[in-house]
Amino acid sequence: MTTGTVIIGMGNPLLSDDGVGIAVARAVGERLCHRMDLSVIELHTGGIRLMEAMAGFKRAVVVDAMLNGAAPGTLQRFDPAAFITTKNTFSSHDTDFATACDLGRMAGVPLPELVAFWGIEAREFDLFGERFTDEVSAAVPLAVERIVAEISAWEAAA
Amino acid sequence: MTTRITIDPITRLEGHGRIDIILDDQGSVENAFFQIPELRGFEQFCVGRMAEEMPVITNRICGVCPEAHHLAATKALDGVFGAEPTPVAKKLRELLYMAFFVTDHTTHFYALGGPDFIVGPDAPPSERNILGVARKVGLEVASEVIDCRKRNHEIITFLGGRSIHPVAGIPGGWSRPITADERIRIEETARKNIAFATFSLGIFDKIVLQNPIFMNMVTSDIYLHRTYSMGTVDSNNQSNFYDGMIRVVDPEGNEFARYHPADYREHIAERVESWTYLKYPYLKKVGWQGLTDGRESGIYTATPLSRLNVSEGLATPLANAEYQRMYEAFGCSKITAARYQPIHHRLATHWARLIELLYAAERMLELALDPDITSPDTRTIPDPSRFVGEGVGCVEAPRGTLTHHYVTDERGILTRVNMIVGTTNNYAPISMSIKRAAERLITSNAPEEAILNKIEMAFRLYDPCFSCATHFLPGRMPLCVSVHDSRGGLLREMRRYV
Repeated sequence: MTTGTVIIGMGNPLLSDDGVGIAVARAVGERLCHRMDLSVIELHTGGIRLMEAMAGFKRAVVVDAMLNGAAPGTLQRFDPAAFITTKNTFSSHDTDFATACDLGRMAGVPLPELVAFWGIEAREFDLFGERFTDEVSAAVPLAVERIVAEISAWEAAA
Repeated sequence: MTTRITIDPITRLEGHGRIDIILDDQGSVENAFFQIPELRGFEQFCVGRMAEEMPVITNRICGVCPEAHHLAATKALDGVFGAEPTPVAKKLRELLYMAFFVTDHTTHFYALGGPDFIVGPDAPPSERNILGVARKVGLEVASEVIDCRKRNHEIITFLGGRSIHPVAGIPGGWSRPITADERIRIEETARKNIAFATFSLGIFDKIVLQNPIFMNMVTSDIYLHRTYSMGTVDSNNQSNFYDGMIRVVDPEGNEFARYHPADYREHIAERVESWTYLKYPYLKKVGWQGLTDGRESGIYTATPLSRLNVSEGLATPLANAEYQRMYEAFGCSKITAARYQPIHHRLATHWARLIELLYAAERMLELALDPDITSPDTRTIPDPSRFVGEGVGCVEAPRGTLTHHYVTDERGILTRVNMIVGTTNNYAPISMSIKRAAERLITSNAPEEAILNKIEMAFRLYDPCFSCATHFLPGRMPLCVSVHDSRGGLLREMRRYV
């Protein structure tokens, strides 16, 4: 059985814009934790780890930096069905997220009924640093609002 | 006229790492280059910070082996602060590390290395993955792998004080003793790990070793390089992943060097080539002869296989029996009472990794049964009068010897940081392996998917972590295999994950 909601922020908080997913997840947690069963997880690598991180939860939101060719700061939402790999959801040391989920189902891991992926286009992702570029900083409030709205809507429908 | 084959990541998503294979008119391999760009600013990021931050900074360099970086950094701090850890602290560190090795080696075998053998090197990529392994071996394998990861992650979480990025390592010790109940859980986990490692070796035996086609591939000269071997050994010259001296043997197996990790600069130099950002480490006292193997070339390998090549047998009974079986299967004769001639057939690295999995499981049980393991005496408080201001920390990471080297000012503020990570050691051997496999396997300018996969197998066996090697986040190396003619025209393109 699955229960509650998890928001998983992916990336490296020491690698400039790569940490944006974690910052958004923390902010969403601060907004919602007091009024619903919401867990916040920070995750560094994808593949099987990501599948394991959402095990046991009824609903999951994953937020990550992405490099999709859009303008830096662009926010995009993906359903798992239409999912393409964002920056950190794949692990070269095991497998991609979709295969990891198939593995989890094969092993009887309780996986969420609802999963949404949010990607924020990054500009600087290979320079060590703890600050985001301006475009990415500016995108954080919108990302937080949209994800808060989505999770709230899920809760309301449940 | 030349044809260029490029194995390149999906740059739109990742932007790192590529392999170029250049063909001549006849479709033979003219040359092969392997290169990766680097992350910027790591040393600048660290310099000016307090050295004590390093165990929690460096364990974020790598999402796959944070435990290795955490321990190497903690050991470097022992040196910086002149604080020798208590025996219990060393055992707790090693205990955490064994749980980590079990998860890492398990995941590599079932998700990355194993599919080539268990599903088959010629199978379509969509089937050549962990799901294909489970369909072939039995669906319960999926649960076994997930359960193995879960039970060991739980141990790592309470031993390390946090999930994924441990925080328990401190100069001179370990901040978290374990309770008697926790010790029981660790013991139970270790016993399950031993059973699982034995089961995994059984699969390897049945599917690979008893299959003449695979054994011909493993023992062919496609995946053969006679380099020096490196690994960490204890006072009995037996492999130890957490601590010891660095031992190097030559291609014939004679001991070439045995040194304290702090002396690495006397033994290891780094070659800079204009066409790549990554530096090739080599044995200083042998010298750099280019990308070539043999006794005259200073290229060495630091992998599960090389660790066994330098070790006088293994310190745990079941793993030692498997160790002997492997060397005897390759027809190696003994050169000391417990050690054999080195194996240079690189695909044997997969077998060596499973033997190390069993060793780590057995070692975990030994530590769990140690009467001192629940002692609260886990820390030596650093004494300011013993402050050194420089330290080298070294562990065997799953992918090779990992070295952290820090220099600080008199306040403990970092002034210099250097690292040699596991994969970096193997950069030259990986490059040679790709070239050799390409030379032997490509016979036309339109190589088939199965051929390109067999070339990828040449570097998959190292489980390279390029992200880490360039101080970059790992976990993202989808490859794009492109075949170009001499004018740059694209002949074919394939995308896959390695």
